[in-house]
Amino acid sequence: MVEKAQARAESENPIRIMPRSTRSTEGNKTGSWRYLRPRYEEKTAPCSAACPAGEDIGKVEMLTSQGLFKEAWETILRENPFPGVCGRVCFHPCEGSCNRGEFDDPIAIRAVERFLADTAERYDLKPLLERLPARPEKIAVAGAGPSGLAAAWFLTQLGYACDVFEASPEAGGILRWGIPLYRLPLAALQHEIARIEAQGVRIHTGRPVTPGFLRDLETSYSAVYLACGHGRTTALRVPGEELDGVGDGLAFLERIRRGETPDVRGMSVIIGGGNTAVDVARSIVRLGGEALILYRRRRKDMPAFGDEVQMALEEGVKLEELVAPERIEKDGGRIRITLRHMRIAGEEGGRGRIEPDGDRTSRVVAERLFKATGAEAGEAWYNPPPAGKGTVALSHCALSLREGRPALARGGDLTNGIKSVAHAIASGKQAAIALDTLFREGADSILSRLEACTVGVGPSLSMEIHMGGERRLRNRHVVVYGEINTDYFRYAPRMTQPRLVRAERARSFAEIDLRVSGNIAMREAERCFNCGLCDQCDNCHLFCPDLAVLRGKEGLGRSINYDYCKGCGLCVVECPRNAMTLEEEDR
Amino acid sequence: MELERSDREFMHPGHVGCPGCGAAIAMRFLLKALGEKTMMIIPACCWSVIAGPYPTTTLKIPVIHSAFETGGAVASGVRAALDMKGDRDTTVVTWAGDGGTFDIGFQALSGAVERNEDFIYVCYDNEAYMNTGIQRSSSTPYGAWTTTTPGKDWKKMRKKNIVEALAAHRIPYAATASISHPEDLVRKVRRAQATGGSRFLHIFASCPTGWKIPSEMAVKIARMAVQTNIFPLYEVEEGLHYTINTKPKRFPVREYFKIQGRFQHLTDADLDVIQKMVDEDWELLLRKAGEHA
Repeated sequence: MVEKAQARAESENPIRIMPRSTRSTEGNKTGSWRYLRPRYEEKTAPCSAACPAGEDIGKVEMLTSQGLFKEAWETILRENPFPGVCGRVCFHPCEGSCNRGEFDDPIAIRAVERFLADTAERYDLKPLLERLPARPEKIAVAGAGPSGLAAAWFLTQLGYACDVFEASPEAGGILRWGIPLYRLPLAALQHEIARIEAQGVRIHTGRPVTPGFLRDLETSYSAVYLACGHGRTTALRVPGEELDGVGDGLAFLERIRRGETPDVRGMSVIIGGGNTAVDVARSIVRLGGEALILYRRRRKDMPAFGDEVQMALEEGVKLEELVAPERIEKDGGRIRITLRHMRIAGEEGGRGRIEPDGDRTSRVVAERLFKATGAEAGEAWYNPPPAGKGTVALSHCALSLREGRPALARGGDLTNGIKSVAHAIASGKQAAIALDTLFREGADSILSRLEACTVGVGPSLSMEIHMGGERRLRNRHVVVYGEINTDYFRYAPRMTQPRLVRAERARSFAEIDLRVSGNIAMREAERCFNCGLCDQCDNCHLFCPDLAVLRGKEGLGRSINYDYCKGCGLCVVECPRNAMTLEEEDR
Repeated sequence: MELERSDREFMHPGHVGCPGCGAAIAMRFLLKALGEKTMMIIPACCWSVIAGPYPTTTLKIPVIHSAFETGGAVASGVRAALDMKGDRDTTVVTWAGDGGTFDIGFQALSGAVERNEDFIYVCYDNEAYMNTGIQRSSSTPYGAWTTTTPGKDWKKMRKKNIVEALAAHRIPYAATASISHPEDLVRKVRRAQATGGSRFLHIFASCPTGWKIPSEMAVKIARMAVQTNIFPLYEVEEGLHYTINTKPKRFPVREYFKIQGRFQHLTDADLDVIQKMVDEDWELLLRKAGEHA
């Protein structure tokens, strides 16, 4: 009976043998502890700041590593209409600035770009790009080289109708006539030009720009972009350079690109140290001749790409350093070049400063000589007038604003210190942004607009920023190696560019650099740190001790719940890519 | 990072762990791996506080707060009760700090695993009695400042090797893990869950407050402990079969010590002594794993 009574009493009035917590701690807003505040803030990768065209390389590599080849290719096209060209012939300053270089080896950025262009070509991809509504202004471009075509491409995206006038029978400029096929196959160039035309750019060939023609253009166009390049080889300024047998390197390359096979039997001498000199020499070897490059500085001072020089030497091209031509004379049917020997007398601007090595001279006898020491504008009036008097010298172009007349911009080799394809594209982009701003907001806004479109510390510009894309939200800070959390990266060798072997390339103009597979390109792109960019790796979410990093819908995007974030900063330090920032709480 | 991609969380925000608390991260990973059919015993430790003041709780699973020395015994009882009810699905876990494991709870732990009780004992190791004010424990490493080893009386004894002590009980599974290596940690928890009998996990959980480090460095420092071989990641089956999970490049220990306030008094000569200890321990581990340096 006693037991029954006790059981009844317990069921009516249960004894709590231990206290039990049932409410969550969510009522405790620990965010009030915080004096440092983390936030998502993408920054600028050094490669993109080093790229004259301001390509969003970190994003291109990220998309490539995810197999999103079309999106990666379109990301390039937003900043550069020539991925197939630049993927082959760019001097890739991006790779020199790559943070991965301090870890193991830089990303093979150029090779990945080439892969994306090849893929787009192979599958005949059509880019889907943002385009602004049509504008009333029409713009004329003189010169269908990389700069002129880039300007027309960007202006078309910005809503302008563009006509490009080209003196030669085909578009492409130096890309069409000055770069040998073994470096840049015709199909690759034609594909890019076709895409630019498909965008709406009209190219009129066989229309050289004369002062009269320029005046005509000014009557029917709102602005003119003059980008007719440096097509004339500079003089050597030595006696005898007008003799028979002394030729112009660029003209020689153009003859080959027109389909001729010039007679190059015997020894040819090439004066110069740039890519044109090396291209002439290598073309001569391919046509069965012998080639000797004479350069007044050392091999390591040559402006030509190191790889190209190396391959030229492997192919049998000879190189003599520290000699400058002093006199050119006839020697029977041949020519005799007297060379003054030079020596290094210090360093200047990253290369050797030279002076004559006493009275030392020597002679070389050859069948012919090619000048390849540089080029200049075909006509003196192409060159920009001195700054002031209505002409503003910008980093990559010169803009002349004249009362009552259409604006005239000059760019490409006419204005650039460094004559590269990437710089030519940079000119075209800068001119496009400047003209667009002129028409939309007036001349006074041009400088501030260009400043707003700068990638990192400049002078590279971004068209995506100008067009209001997401890239404008990034901090200009250029990420340095020390800001990468390298614990999240493994050492991995840089890809090796497959190439034709020496025997295969010696007698042929076939492209030397071979295609790479998607597998190799993806693996290479995966090596990229994606400096300053979020790739949704989830570290911030994973390591948060306070469950204060929330995933967005379908796992995409992250946000911080400041109700609970205590500001410990773990998410910022564990972010492998420096896509977050920790700053003092403002309260 | 390849880790439980689903968003399942068994912790609420709003807990009172210090900013950058390694023990809170360790708990998150553990529960993501174990899932909801888990019962937890928490003897006195930091987590007694982090789990929430009555009547609130940070955890979405049943928890029993137990006396300091009873982590092994209470778990044995909970397991027995579940067995009586016929519940074989629920995993019983003791979650204790280093004080409750290495020192105060050691006899109950040793007794429970000697009986091969069917539970997982997890020690999250922050290398001192942090919650009560940073007193040294037998887990505090050689060289460390604590409030009970202050000034020139810094701790001159080595850290107890708890995994070896447990392995000597020949339990089915013992392993080390670190909050800096989430995939490895989660894999080991799942493995422990799938194994029967007594299982022991030793999780390295940095403590910004007690170690005098910036809170944002908590994971970085835990990772450095692995990279320098100060805290090697390995598993022991049946007390016999050793598997070393990562073989780091053996970074010098110096960097690890230099950035922690609790080691600021150490001289280069002291660090040389510590380097020798670490090397010696690593060689010993390699020998046990049947490998040679």
